[in-house]
Amino acid sequence: MVVTGRAVALAGVGALAVLVLPATVTVLAWALVVVLACGLDVALAASPRRVAVRRDVPGSVRLTQAATCTLTVTNVGPRRLRGLVRDAWQPSAGAQPDRHRLDLPPGDGARLRTPLLPTRRGDRRADLVTVRTLGPLGLAGRQASLDVPARLRVLPEFASRRHLPSRLARLRELDGRSAVQVRGAGTEFDSLREYVPGDDVRSVDWRATARRADVVVRTWRPERDRRVLLVLDTSRTSAGRVGDAPRLDASIEAALLLSALAARAGDRVELVAFDRRVRTRVVGASGPRLLPAMADALAGVEPALVETDWPGAVAQVRERLSRRALVVLLSALEPSAVEQGLLGVVGPLAQRHQVVLASVQDPEAETLRQGRADVSEVFDAAAAERAGLERAAVAVRLRQRGVEVVDALPDDLAPALADTYLRLKAAGRL
Amino acid sequence: MSTTSTTSAPTEAASAGAASAGAAAPAGPPADAGHVVGDGTTARSRAAARWRRARFPLLVVAGLVLLGVLLSLPEPRTSPVPLAPDNVEENGARAVAEVLGDQGVDVTYARTTARAVAAAGPGTTLLVTSDVLLTDAQVDAVGGTGADLVLVTPGFSLPLLTDALETAYGISGAPTPREAACADPDAVAAGTVSAAGGVRATAASSDAVVCFPDADGAGAYATVTRPDGTRLTVLSDPSLLTNDAVLDEGNAALALRALGRQASLVWYVPSFDDLGVDPTGDDGVGGSPAELLPPAAGPLALQALLVVVVAALWRARRTGRLVTEPLPVVVRAAETVRGRGRLYRRGRSYGRAAAALRAGCAARCGARLGLPRAAPAPAVIDAVARATGRDRGVVEALLYGPPPRGDAALTRLATDLDHLESEVNHP
Repeated sequence: MVVTGRAVALAGVGALAVLVLPATVTVLAWALVVVLACGLDVALAASPRRVAVRRDVPGSVRLTQAATCTLTVTNVGPRRLRGLVRDAWQPSAGAQPDRHRLDLPPGDGARLRTPLLPTRRGDRRADLVTVRTLGPLGLAGRQASLDVPARLRVLPEFASRRHLPSRLARLRELDGRSAVQVRGAGTEFDSLREYVPGDDVRSVDWRATARRADVVVRTWRPERDRRVLLVLDTSRTSAGRVGDAPRLDASIEAALLLSALAARAGDRVELVAFDRRVRTRVVGASGPRLLPAMADALAGVEPALVETDWPGAVAQVRERLSRRALVVLLSALEPSAVEQGLLGVVGPLAQRHQVVLASVQDPEAETLRQGRADVSEVFDAAAAERAGLERAAVAVRLRQRGVEVVDALPDDLAPALADTYLRLKAAGRL
Repeated sequence: MSTTSTTSAPTEAASAGAASAGAAAPAGPPADAGHVVGDGTTARSRAAARWRRARFPLLVVAGLVLLGVLLSLPEPRTSPVPLAPDNVEENGARAVAEVLGDQGVDVTYARTTARAVAAAGPGTTLLVTSDVLLTDAQVDAVGGTGADLVLVTPGFSLPLLTDALETAYGISGAPTPREAACADPDAVAAGTVSAAGGVRATAASSDAVVCFPDADGAGAYATVTRPDGTRLTVLSDPSLLTNDAVLDEGNAALALRALGRQASLVWYVPSFDDLGVDPTGDDGVGGSPAELLPPAAGPLALQALLVVVVAALWRARRTGRLVTEPLPVVVRAAETVRGRGRLYRRGRSYGRAAAALRAGCAARCGARLGLPRAAPAPAVIDAVARATGRDRGVVEALLYGPPPRGDAALTRLATDLDHLESEVNHP
């Protein structure tokens, strides 16, 4: 049972009656009038449970993109249904406005559209649908909440896709498909062609030249069908907020850009999200199906407040990879975490595979390092300086073990990782 | 009532629902899959759920109400007002009032002048327990009722009511036993009383009787017949009436005889919220603040309460429950750096802080000047001195000098290192 503002107004009108007949009995009588009128309205209101409700939502939507939840409401009761419907969603689903007025004759239906603008990645769940029906006087009514489950999967934003065209152009340069020929690009034998002045004499194929009248050179193309394994660290270090988003989001952006690029380059990309156990895995998707699979798998990944089990992660890598591959660890260059976990197991891994550690730098640390306003800022600056030195020292130790370290600000991590990939590919180190 | 179906069309569903409205059958199934009808409850199950939810709070409220009733039942109405006839404390006067009532005197308790004046008249006794809170107009009204007056420790009001008696100020407050020493029959019957204070007869007095005199001749009890024929009695000490002292000596006899002369007694205890004499008087001053309000004020306040209750019901009911957001645990990544900075500061680790600043500066300068990371200190000093043109000793003191002591020295070192670094970057 609910009462409306009209019931309050009705109670307020009683003041006039009290002015005419100033007695306590008048007030009691008017209260009785209000109660009876509201009771009559409730009795005459349509049942909020005699309503058929259906929710339709798109399967998935990219973060920052708008979506619409369609609520189909049908009056299956014998009375005219007047009132309000609330299409409740989690706050981060951005359902605004989520209340809709209704006026349905018996048997009629209506489609109510709730605009959704998700503000967070992951599965956004709908809550109850609340139907509030009012009586003919509009004084009071009835209310019921119906459980109509729905889910909107919000995919990562993939804002780094704006870096993709320029990286693809560089990939084509490597590939030899573009007009520009870049010498020394790639290590796989591609074809023989006639010598053109300007070609490196070291690439002349003397055996083929001997068989023909012309001088023939070998051309090379970048390696194809290499395997790229992205290991996304979802442990406590990924939960730290850098700027306005957790580290994990920057890592996901970098993973998406790298997989888009590697898929175009003809490499096979796999992904494992891991902390103490496998959180999600993308295996066997290739070509145009890779990115959707990747986005779908990464949509629901959240940081866990546990320490990464690096021996377990390395065991996962061993299980997945038999021959040499590019292993990208999307983690944080956190000195204590790296020293106690990764450093112990990364050596053997780097001997078998090309290992890249991609870490998100914190711009706030750099701001802190430059603070000189008062002595507490100087102490903070000293702490930031010490942390930076420790990071550098850990990076050096990782490099000594053969690991490529990419340490960049959140917005720069994705392009920096893509550039590292292109550089490794050009050098034939995959 | 929760039904999902894949069979009938919406119109059929509606007609089915309408048809089954009379009987309490479930509503007709909707058009296609995915529709939800009802929340799976019936009127009976909802009532049961409401009763389950409400019974414990109701039990608690009922218990509290019962407790309140039980606690208030055996307590008769009492008040803490001094000299009030319903006050059972030491400074109250219920003992005297009860005995007078038992003897057949009709005791009327008044808190306002208007009520006292209305109840008093010829053939009644009007007791005024104090004149501190009264105005001149109120004293005049009290004196003009035609009732016999009994004043307790009168101050300014005594000269307004009679010119035969005056208050003897400046007499010590400790009650002492006094003999009657006069011909008044009430005083003679009491014999001895224990009282303080006193009144004297003035020079103009003709028939004032002053009894129970102390050493200075000021009496604890005085009576005089006023020009309009009413009798004015003055009791110089409230303890003649109070519960704690009424049994001393002959106090009780004096009090009962002074107050019980007439068949009815008006017991007037002046109060703060008594603003005047007569609510219908020409000056328009009411007997109490409540009587200044228009007659509709009370019912209107009750009506406002009704409006507030309905408005509370209106605003309190949500349109469905609150939806919670499972928030991720997100801490600023730089918190650890800040924490370490605070630790440095709390520990006054000037040496550590300076070492970090110097090492960072040296590492960046070395990188800028093309030195390997593991370059020894002399090589760094030489290179920086060459690049900046500064003296070698100055650079060494800056990069590898003794740790600073104090806040100012640390801040200065940080600024000097910044200058050095900017000179290396832009020579």
